[in-house]
Amino acid sequence: MPIPNGGLITETNRQYYAGAQQFYITSAGVGQTFTSTFDTNLVFDNSDPASNGYNLNNFKIFTSPDANVWAELTPTSPTASTTGTTDNNAYGPGAAVTVTIIANNTNVLAGMSLVDVSTGAVYGTVTSITGPTQFVCNLTIQIPVSTNLRFQFSSPWAVLSPNIITVNASLSIGTYLKIQLNENTLGESLGNYSYTRLNDVIDNFLIAYVGAGKLIPSVKRTDVIFHARRGLQEFSYDTLKSIKSAELGIPVSLSLQIPQDYVNYVRLAWVDKQGVLHTIQPAEKLTSRPYYTPAQDDAGIPTQDSNSNNLEVTSKVNAAWDANDPRDISGAYTEQYSEANIYWQGYYNGALGQRYGLQPQTSQKNGWFEIDERKGTFNFTSELANKVIVLEYISDGNSYDLDLRIPKLAEEALYAHIIHAILSTSANVQEYVVRRFKQERSAKLRNAKIRLSNLKLDQMIQTMRGKSKWLKY
Amino acid sequence: MAINVNTVYQTVLLILNKEQRGYMTPVEFNKIGTQVQLEIFERYFEDLNQQIRVPQTDTDYADRVVNLDEKISIFKTIGNTTYANGAFSLPAESGSSQASFTTVTEVNIQAYPITTITANQLASGTTTVYLDGVASTAYSINGTTLTLNSAPAAGIDIFVVTTQDDFYRLGTVIYSAGALPTQELERIDRGDLYHLLSSKLTAPTTTYPVYVYERQKLFVYPQTIQSGIEATYIRKPMDPVWNFTLSGNAYVYNPDTSINFELHDAEQTEIVLKILLYAGVVVKDPTIIQVAAQQVAQEQQNQKS
Repeated sequence: MPIPNGGLITETNRQYYAGAQQFYITSAGVGQTFTSTFDTNLVFDNSDPASNGYNLNNFKIFTSPDANVWAELTPTSPTASTTGTTDNNAYGPGAAVTVTIIANNTNVLAGMSLVDVSTGAVYGTVTSITGPTQFVCNLTIQIPVSTNLRFQFSSPWAVLSPNIITVNASLSIGTYLKIQLNENTLGESLGNYSYTRLNDVIDNFLIAYVGAGKLIPSVKRTDVIFHARRGLQEFSYDTLKSIKSAELGIPVSLSLQIPQDYVNYVRLAWVDKQGVLHTIQPAEKLTSRPYYTPAQDDAGIPTQDSNSNNLEVTSKVNAAWDANDPRDISGAYTEQYSEANIYWQGYYNGALGQRYGLQPQTSQKNGWFEIDERKGTFNFTSELANKVIVLEYISDGNSYDLDLRIPKLAEEALYAHIIHAILSTSANVQEYVVRRFKQERSAKLRNAKIRLSNLKLDQMIQTMRGKSKWLKY
Repeated sequence: MAINVNTVYQTVLLILNKEQRGYMTPVEFNKIGTQVQLEIFERYFEDLNQQIRVPQTDTDYADRVVNLDEKISIFKTIGNTTYANGAFSLPAESGSSQASFTTVTEVNIQAYPITTITANQLASGTTTVYLDGVASTAYSINGTTLTLNSAPAAGIDIFVVTTQDDFYRLGTVIYSAGALPTQELERIDRGDLYHLLSSKLTAPTTTYPVYVYERQKLFVYPQTIQSGIEATYIRKPMDPVWNFTLSGNAYVYNPDTSINFELHDAEQTEIVLKILLYAGVVVKDPTIIQVAAQQVAQEQQNQKS
């Protein structure tokens, strides 16, 4: 495949597949900068793996003499550190203390920390170089006589400007440096070509649809941002693929907190030992979690505490529901609950279908769930305790930066949504124009739904082969 | 590209002097020239607003919006802003508008008249005085007179340079940080600001920052942005100066110390006509006023119809 050459793809194959961008060092020295051209912005907190913030980075920096064997650039890596032993004098503490080491070392640089090789104690920082054995240092702790020191950069590299890496350590000419995205970050960027970032949609819209001589001569950018985000929300509810799901274990409390970015559920299902999902049914037709449970007096009037707020009591509805045996609702035999494998065949199978008068809605053995809106929890019936469930849900596409994107199959529909939203809320726009774009929005949204429903001819044919009529193609 | 100030002056004098109507001194010409240049300059923006609402032809040289933009482009510039106390100050000087004066000290003479920089320029710009190439602060300027604080020796080179504060009209404010794409800031009113900040959907971000323009300062949101802000703006044209040396009783044009009209060459006839219009007022000749006004009106009508 060609290297990026002006098309929509801006990453090289290596950047996309391996998450790596390599640089050749053409001049030796400290403070060299390297600009990342990944589509993903670099996230940086600290370049020392010993610090907690290091885990917030979404990439690592490696160096290599030959672009074959790579070593991570850390404070203690050979590229960023060197060693030396002090003479028979103790030094410091104090500012501008001249420290002498017994052997020449031209790799010691201003800005390096002086670290005891044995104990890891940090004595201070080199402020300037006097000669190959003498350095002026700011010392906070006294250096004992004949101490083995490691001179190292506490931060061998940093991101001082977005996506521009500054390497504090000295790099040698003819060597290589590599930005390597972390595995999770790389995973998040794979497949991104099927999406358009919402920021791009907004910019494209302002360029293509707004200006003198167009239907929208001028518009506030914040208006476009608002309608784009609202459109993404609306599309997330019924057009876009639901991509959010979580694998969760149900605790003995039978209660799980609603995810942070949850808008509505698609399905809750428990997982059997074969990994097959069994849909858990909502109990909304059977029971509900009361929002208020006020304590009442004999006349039925809520009673208040000393702060004039209603007193609350434990819900009897909840208690009754939690205590019930689901078989009392479904009418199932005991054994039918011991094995939910869909391929299971057992003695009691013969009884299935022979118990007339059952309500299909309640005749299931996969358990029940309900949502406690007040506490923000999913609550499950007791047979689901300690089971693993999968919660599939939809969000609104606005919760995280990574979510702010629209499938390319629905991009045109989003433009149509924004145009219609702006025209329909603008003064002096003829009604027929608004109606035209209302229809256009509707048509394009329908198109997007069809495209995203992902109907494939081969799959339909395979499904239809189980029917009485075969589709031939 | 500029309109030669001497050509304009001579043309004005030629028309004005016909039939011995009157005379315009260089001082009068300079003041009227400044007035006329600013008048035409300010009209560009109103004209652009009018023309942008009219469908234009795509033919070369005939698109009025493009022609106007060409005239304005002479004054378009970009400058850095500086952050202090929560706001960015505007770029005040483009550096395009400079005037300088050079002389040599005489022994024990402290006061020197500045002949090539107007009092207006000195008052409105940033002036630096160099003594033998070294910037000095031991001086004061009153009107167009430079007074050194102490009596100098002879033969010290004095170099005075004034950079005009030429910020005129704010254009686009942009934000750039590292290798991220450069972003345009949206200008909002303070009345909108608090609604924006409260709305999670439209709250300003580093991708889509906004600014409030008050007291000639830019208040940028989100407030984490404290550098990397640049502003495009229109600078003011330099005041035209027809400078001279005296030769007997005659004014002899000095091109080295004169400042040309900065407007587009296409404006030469209008500048002459408008100066004549004001000259008619100066010499109290209604015929000139009438003729010049008619010519100006006809030209403007042609440009807009």
